[in-house]
Amino acid sequence: MKTLLDKLIINYPYFAAVILFLIGAFTVLTRSNLFKKLIGINIMESAIFLMFIAAGNIRGGAVPILCQSNPEALYINPVPSALMLTGIVVSVSVTAFALALIIRLYQSYGTTDARRIAEMKREVT
Amino acid sequence: MTATIISNLPVFVVIAPLFVAFVLSTFARRIRLVESLVIAVLALGVLGAGYLASLVLMQNGIPITYSMGGWPAPWGIELVAGSLSAFFLLLVSGVSLPVALFTVANMTHEVGGSVRTTRFYVLYLLLAGALAGMAVTNDLFNVFVLVEVATLSCCGLVSACKHPRAAEAAFNYLILATLGSALILGGIGFLYIITGHLNMGFASMELCRIWQDYPHVVWIAGGFLLVGFGVKSALFPLHVWLPDAHSTAPSPASAILSGLAVKGYMICFIKVLYNVFGATLIQEFALDRILSLLGMVAIIAGSLFAVAQDELKRRLAFSTVAQVGYVFLGLGQVNVCSLTGTLFHIASHAVIKSGLFLAAGAIIAATGKTRISEMAGIGGRMPITMAAFTIGSLGMVGIPLFSGFIGKWHLLSGSLTAGSTLAPLVIVIGSVLAAAYLFPIIRTAYFEQAQATDGQDPGAPQRIALILLAAGVVILGVAPGPFLELASRAAVELLAIK
Repeated sequence: MKTLLDKLIINYPYFAAVILFLIGAFTVLTRSNLFKKLIGINIMESAIFLMFIAAGNIRGGAVPILCQSNPEALYINPVPSALMLTGIVVSVSVTAFALALIIRLYQSYGTTDARRIAEMKREVT
Repeated sequence: MTATIISNLPVFVVIAPLFVAFVLSTFARRIRLVESLVIAVLALGVLGAGYLASLVLMQNGIPITYSMGGWPAPWGIELVAGSLSAFFLLLVSGVSLPVALFTVANMTHEVGGSVRTTRFYVLYLLLAGALAGMAVTNDLFNVFVLVEVATLSCCGLVSACKHPRAAEAAFNYLILATLGSALILGGIGFLYIITGHLNMGFASMELCRIWQDYPHVVWIAGGFLLVGFGVKSALFPLHVWLPDAHSTAPSPASAILSGLAVKGYMICFIKVLYNVFGATLIQEFALDRILSLLGMVAIIAGSLFAVAQDELKRRLAFSTVAQVGYVFLGLGQVNVCSLTGTLFHIASHAVIKSGLFLAAGAIIAATGKTRISEMAGIGGRMPITMAAFTIGSLGMVGIPLFSGFIGKWHLLSGSLTAGSTLAPLVIVIGSVLAAAYLFPIIRTAYFEQAQATDGQDPGAPQRIALILLAAGVVILGVAPGPFLELASRAAVELLAIK
């Protein structure tokens, strides 16, 4: 029991990432408000970003800039951070596109609730 | 000179459509110019892919490798054009050109205005570039980026019409697809954490060495990737976005989405599954049994849903769900014959389904009717369109001499070799159900008494596109030669990685 608790405490970023991911997935799947769905997606993606960046971190590691005086120094891994920069850009563009779609939906249906929109669509057909 | 062209070919086929997309979005104004640029770059893509495929066939399995920025493999990003890549590149360029031809002088009224049409073409080229990139990439993170580019352009294509239903379908698609890509990114993250590599070859070698130390992480990574790519490629219980998205998009967009976009995610999944996990791990973690079970459920359920639809494009969309099942079923039977069949089925379905969607689009544009029950006698009034539709349907059902037959035949004999009893049965039932949802359309079109007299065959470019795709179905069925050769070589290469 103690070892499990120790593992959780040492790996707290991963633990936080799992909780964030579950919160995000739950929000996306259960809320009918389009904005809340979008926020859920963003929370989920942040969880993945957190996981990547935590994986690149080394406790006590230096900034990854090659230094002539001390070539043996312990550096953190810069690759996950660089990858997540791309991931954030992707996430921003998804968010922007989804917001544009929400505006169009609001203009044609007058609501941002997915359930109401589905009802109105059924009445039309 | 030739050596330079050859070594730069893998990156050229990806960059060219992306570059033209950029040029279109910034500079091009006149719609004629836009259309001719799109056709020109896609035709160039066909030439490049054909040349690449002939090189790969001649070189006997030695892939053409390109290191981005001149950095060699473990550090830099690598593009590898092997048999699988050449096969899929040929497919992407070969299908996207006729579909683009169908849009010539045809899109402005459907999406509304020439500015919106230009945007449509920008998204179309972005999608084509992303799919070509999926074919040649050998880097796990690149897979994610390309999947995202493809997803965003697909959502854009779905929402190209001004109709509010299109916006709703696009939003639902976007949310589910982003959920899928978050899962894919998570799966890639777990693989990166335990292997320390993003290059598929190096990750695979490392994974082979250490998987016994981290069985749970491998399980989680496999599960994340399966669900993520399952959402993207509309595997049955995760297909809920597909019918709305593919039936509300403009018809050429539906053709490219159902025909190619879904296949791109599958090729990525095949690469991750067979090039990173490898055949041994797939069997060790029972992924093969899970995949074939999911595939069988998808074939039956998708076909039954398709039979129940009256709207033509919805029926075709549900048929895609069923055909996706065949691919997953084939991936689950880990042997050369099944994998060859799977790859060939991907190709034949891409050609057939884009042809069917284009024919459906031509019918809907000419008559304004979307329901099958209203299409009585359409065969007499639109002979070329319905002939293309009929050839596509015969191919989909898997009649000999049409392309669907060869893929299904290999799948069938592969699953018999694997010793499965249920899989061959499901493959045959799926074919019968395909006949049950496609042949009634043909019967209504040719043999029912017509009430209406409107509708005629579309213009010349549209006719050429339909004839090209129908010819593709017949050529793949009668003389599959080099295509089947590429598919079987790709299957052997995929299984060679342990």
